[in-house]
Amino acid sequence: MVEAFEVHLQEIRRGTVVLACLQLLRTPGYGYGLLQDLENLGIATEANTLYPLLRRLEKQGHLTSSWDTNEARPRKFYQTSATGQKLAQAMYEEWNKLTKAIHGVHHEPQNPEEN
Amino acid sequence: MTTSLSERYIAATIKGLPEHMHDEVRLELEASIGDAVEARIEDGDHQEVAERAVLTELGDPAVLAAGYADRPLQLIGPKYFLTWWRLLKRLLVIVPIAVLVVVIITQLLSNGTLGDIIGESIAASATALVHVGFWTTLAFAVMERTGTETGVSWDLDKLPDPRQERPGAGDLIASLVFLGIMIAVILWDQTRGFIRIDDDPVPMLNPDLWPWSMVGLFAIILAEIGFAIILYVHARWNTTLAIANTVLAAIFLSWAITLLARGELFSGEFLALWIDNGVSQSALYTLGVVLGLGIVIICVWDVIDGWIKTSKSRV
Repeated sequence: MVEAFEVHLQEIRRGTVVLACLQLLRTPGYGYGLLQDLENLGIATEANTLYPLLRRLEKQGHLTSSWDTNEARPRKFYQTSATGQKLAQAMYEEWNKLTKAIHGVHHEPQNPEEN
Repeated sequence: MTTSLSERYIAATIKGLPEHMHDEVRLELEASIGDAVEARIEDGDHQEVAERAVLTELGDPAVLAAGYADRPLQLIGPKYFLTWWRLLKRLLVIVPIAVLVVVIITQLLSNGTLGDIIGESIAASATALVHVGFWTTLAFAVMERTGTETGVSWDLDKLPDPRQERPGAGDLIASLVFLGIMIAVILWDQTRGFIRIDDDPVPMLNPDLWPWSMVGLFAIILAEIGFAIILYVHARWNTTLAIANTVLAAIFLSWAITLLARGELFSGEFLALWIDNGVSQSALYTLGVVLGLGIVIICVWDVIDGWIKTSKSRV
């Protein structure tokens, strides 16, 4: 039963990773650190989804990147660009709209046999 | 921190990426894997256990590479699937039947036994099926990867007039496959021969057509190929295209009819075969007239079709 739900839950989660990344990366962050941050937020993401996603968002101009070579391990830091922030705002508004709409049609779970 | 297992994993990933991405993706993955391994070691894992766990979690390097390169993990995606499927179904019916007819006629003319005819028909049709399937699918797989527009999109604006035809990739591929087959058939006929008598090839078209008339025919075919591409790029019929289509049809018509009327289109050996097989001279003449009429009808229809589509696309 729970497995049958998983596909649909996955559908809902899909867009949230992008929004969360754009919000978190207003302060610069790097791949693994971001993965941890997302997990701590409760938005668990696979590493093999997140890393290509960061690259894609950079290519689309929503993120900028720079290499930090000060530490022993050079890391690529990403930061949300101006257009990325606009995208995040638009997604956030959409999210709120949907949340409101979903609240409007929500019913508390009830036992169907009580009817 | 990266050891050989990580190195192998990273090498396997960037192998599937374009050259210019190699260095950056390698560095980025080294950092990400290194960070993750380190975190696991801090939690008490051994180096090797941690590395294995991290790389296993990252999954198949080919999938990761596809993600980095933004590459589809499917041969033909939903954007092209229906166009591909409709075209394939159409071609899988038309082409093998056309091949079958040609094979049967050539076998009859070269006095093949019933066994030969059946055997050759099955072999040639099967070959045609494989070729149609392969080349059509290849064309669409390439389009999937280059992001070419098919021109066959569905939206409500196109609904009011379902008969309105917009030249799309389906038409283009059909034209190119047909013209390509035509060139192949002519070359094969002239060099290897479809009909063989005692292992000597008997060309159907007159070899004396070389060089000029043949060059003319190939020029016409190339012009048709060019026209098909322009039409596809333009995505819509217009008066200029309809005129060009008319001119091309007229040129081909005069080429074919002139040679047919002068009796220069087919080789003497080929015509002699018909006579040898009991077809009388006058019957052969009638067949020539029927063929000529057929060519006229096809060309005229092609011209009319172009103008009809032009007038429809003006609406």
